[in-house]
Amino acid sequence: MEQSGTSTRLAGAVQGLTSELVSALRSGGPFRLAGSVRGADGPEAADGLALAAVRVVGADAALPSVLHRTPPEPDDLAVFSRAVHAYPPPSDASPTSVWSHWAMKRTLLRLDASLDGAAGHDPEPQAAWLDDASWQSLTHQLAVLAPLAVPAGDSAVARVARGRPVDVARGFVRAVRRRDWLQAAGAGRWLVLLDDVPPTLGLEAGLDFVAQMGCDDPRVALQIEAAHLMRAGVRV
Amino acid sequence: MSSTEFLADELTEVQGVDVEAALDPIEADGTYRDSRECAALALTSGSTSLLLSPPTPRPKKG
Repeated sequence: MEQSGTSTRLAGAVQGLTSELVSALRSGGPFRLAGSVRGADGPEAADGLALAAVRVVGADAALPSVLHRTPPEPDDLAVFSRAVHAYPPPSDASPTSVWSHWAMKRTLLRLDASLDGAAGHDPEPQAAWLDDASWQSLTHQLAVLAPLAVPAGDSAVARVARGRPVDVARGFVRAVRRRDWLQAAGAGRWLVLLDDVPPTLGLEAGLDFVAQMGCDDPRVALQIEAAHLMRAGVRV
Repeated sequence: MSSTEFLADELTEVQGVDVEAALDPIEADGTYRDSRECAALALTSGSTSLLLSPPTPRPKKG
């Protein structure tokens, strides 16, 4: 399907932001979201495309702060918050959009000490659409919602994943065999957090293989870096 | 509404649609490896053995 000009530019902005996140995860250094969005002389200067990219990247836009336990700067949180508020899920939004938005709000509450105790603890969205999902569909949905796969990141989606480790493992293998590196990386990130993953899966070697094959796509690299950091025991 | 405001609104609307599309992507078309390729991958990836398992059934066409 041919992409519109806007969606192409959005995809490019997502790739750019994701590349910077990967660099920050690898280096362990601070990540300045406000400095990464185009035209950001301050949070108010971030343009619509950059904010849209933050919304698409979702909670992972704050992943270096979450995994490296480095508090974000106020202007970084301001950009993150602007993306949350600029792109609320519409009434007919997909479950993945609703969950992505919820994950961003939860991350904002987690990182912004000034919001501690403030109203805004939205109830979890429904995860009923995953209840009867085939293992193939489950893996696809979980890979899309990989930003929910963080240490101590309890959610209804995570609980579904924890209940079906073998299905996610099957989905990981299927994604590798289909050469869908992005799905494989997202599924692998979930598997790092799950108990009872079949040891015959060879997850570590599988993640290395996916990293090697999909390294041209920073979205793949982001999931692999997150998985490696979590596997190494980085904890919030 | 000025033309600039109109364009800004239009751009925002397009991006909203595009954002929603990006947040709910369809599964990418896959290209299955044949069994010999998977065996070779398994051999080069250490202890991994599931790549040697029978291929996932492909969806029936038609």
